[in-house]
Amino acid sequence: MKLLTHNLLSSHVPGLRPGGGFPLRIELGHPSELPPEPVPDYEGDEEFLRRVHHVLLEVEVLEGSLQCPDSGRRFPISKGVPNMLLTEEEA
Amino acid sequence: VGCDRSKNLVDICAEKHFQAFVCDALSVPIRSGSCDACISIAVIHHFSTAERRLATIRELARLLRPGGTALIYVWAMEQEYKNQKSKYLKEKNGSKNKDKEMNTVIAQRPLSDQGPDNSSQDSAWCDQLLNDVKDESCGAKPVADFRLPVHTNRTSFHSQDLLVPWHLKGGTKKKEESIDTVLVPGGSKQLQELSPVFHRYYHVFCEGELEAVCRSLDCVKVQKNYYDQGNWCVILEKL
Repeated sequence: MKLLTHNLLSSHVPGLRPGGGFPLRIELGHPSELPPEPVPDYEGDEEFLRRVHHVLLEVEVLEGSLQCPDSGRRFPISKGVPNMLLTEEEA
Repeated sequence: VGCDRSKNLVDICAEKHFQAFVCDALSVPIRSGSCDACISIAVIHHFSTAERRLATIRELARLLRPGGTALIYVWAMEQEYKNQKSKYLKEKNGSKNKDKEMNTVIAQRPLSDQGPDNSSQDSAWCDQLLNDVKDESCGAKPVADFRLPVHTNRTSFHSQDLLVPWHLKGGTKKKEESIDTVLVPGGSKQLQELSPVFHRYYHVFCEGELEAVCRSLDCVKVQKNYYDQGNWCVILEKL
């Protein structure tokens, strides 16, 4: 799953407040190479830009999960594929 | 980005380096109004009620931004149109099929996941099935004691609601008929088979039916409506 794909995905657990399912929190096995927030004047920060470019265009999540911000429900990612199916009870 | 109900099919997309995820067409985990365009090819005809089919189109419309467009393809009841046979009929192979008119009527629950990893649990014989199938368009059948006919591949459709056999041979869809599982009431006899047969539910659409369903939604406008190789197609625009 590329970051650009993640940008489109939203949790569809029923009963969430509007917008409560976005963005999904990406959980990986290891810490991110990016700082939590972009630094001020990040446009000039070559090192930061290099890292952002890498994450946007060169990184794909193969194994991990996506967590719904409001409900905490986790959607697994395996072999690069997020499984967003809800169970019969949830839907 | 693509999506499908079958995890195994989506895994194949990933192997080919496409971005795809697993989800149900009735609940697509994408933010409303975030798509410039969507396509739904050979999906909606697998939903077993008019209500569910409408719901998938409504869901598709939800994803579109105003002005965004959707393309929908569904299998047509009419496999011969304007005196032209569709490719589906034309590619009918050898003499094997001629006497294999499958009159066996199997009534069963539609499979919820059409993936190849589905075990063949479709041997149950039920008297009454799909009670909520309301066929309000052409070829309406009585709802009570409704049985689903099993289609003979590569022939015309005789019913709008049917089961189409799929022969699983090494994981690929095969067009030829091989040794089939024949199920008899009472369930006692079952021919030894080399490859399992899955029966996939279809509701094939009559001329005008897809368009009518789309027109019942206020949020979209039908831009185009046409027939293409055995399929009814619409192009919708989100209002």
